[in-house]
Amino acid sequence: MRRAFLIIVVLVAVGAGWYGWTEYNRTAEDTADLDAAETLDPAALLQAFTADENAANARFNGKVLEVHGEVRAVNAPENGLVDVVLETGDPLAGVVCQFAQADLPNNVVAGAPVRIKGLCTGLLMDVVLQRCALVE
Amino acid sequence: MTKHLILAALFAAPLTLAAQERYATRTGHISFHSDTPMEKIEAHNHKSTSVLDASTGAVEFAVLMKGFEFDKALMQEHFNENYVESDKFPKAGFKGKFNGLTADDLKKAGTKEVTAEGEMSMHGVTKPVTIKGTFTMEPTGAVKASSTFTIKPEDYNITIPGMVRDNIAKEITIKVQMDYVKM
Repeated sequence: MRRAFLIIVVLVAVGAGWYGWTEYNRTAEDTADLDAAETLDPAALLQAFTADENAANARFNGKVLEVHGEVRAVNAPENGLVDVVLETGDPLAGVVCQFAQADLPNNVVAGAPVRIKGLCTGLLMDVVLQRCALVE
Repeated sequence: MTKHLILAALFAAPLTLAAQERYATRTGHISFHSDTPMEKIEAHNHKSTSVLDASTGAVEFAVLMKGFEFDKALMQEHFNENYVESDKFPKAGFKGKFNGLTADDLKKAGTKEVTAEGEMSMHGVTKPVTIKGTFTMEPTGAVKASSTFTIKPEDYNITIPGMVRDNIAKEITIKVQMDYVKM
């Protein structure tokens, strides 16, 4: 009885340790594998932020969004990251999707239609989506 | 609407002399670093913005708190949920002025040490700060600004729980790197 109890205690301790270790070392999930909370076009996303930034922060920030639209520009890579700017109809502001350079195919060029998933972090000069992935 | 008016003022103003002295970036790199014997923590944000009016030295920086990326997801979650409360305070920023910086300085290749005086806002707290930095003007005309300084979390009402107090440095090192583009 005592032996069985000790085995259970050891198993629980090992399990807790393993869980703690894996949780501590957990990395961010690949955005491509996550479901989007909402799907919308870039102009609607920008409009939501410019109309009521607080409401848009509450609705979108920290969530994976899927945006469908046209590429306005692909900026030169910096620090291994590439920004894909989506057309919003507003020349002063866009929706900027930040990709790891290695994740961005060559066919994503200005004028191309794209579907992108990314983590919304809010509005500065543009609405920013990070850790982006193309939706096939 | 206000946002658009500000952006219009920044980017679509007539080509006056002042407008020609304006520099900006949408891809500034801000990182913070905490180094203790217990743990080394760092996070990076490559989407900070800054606008500099070289004719007056006025400068603004802004950064989205949810844009800081950590190696470990758990740290990122704790940072956003428990420390900076980024749902409640989504942005941090600095607004101030570079002392001794002139528009001509940015047109000559070389480096210039500067001091920025202004107010830093984070976690709902705004405090006056003085920050030293360096401008580097490259022969290509590129203008880069960098700075390294420290802040204390408690100065911005960021409470570190006692259980992890020894894991987080008393002073957090902030590194800023801006590659400005002339507007």
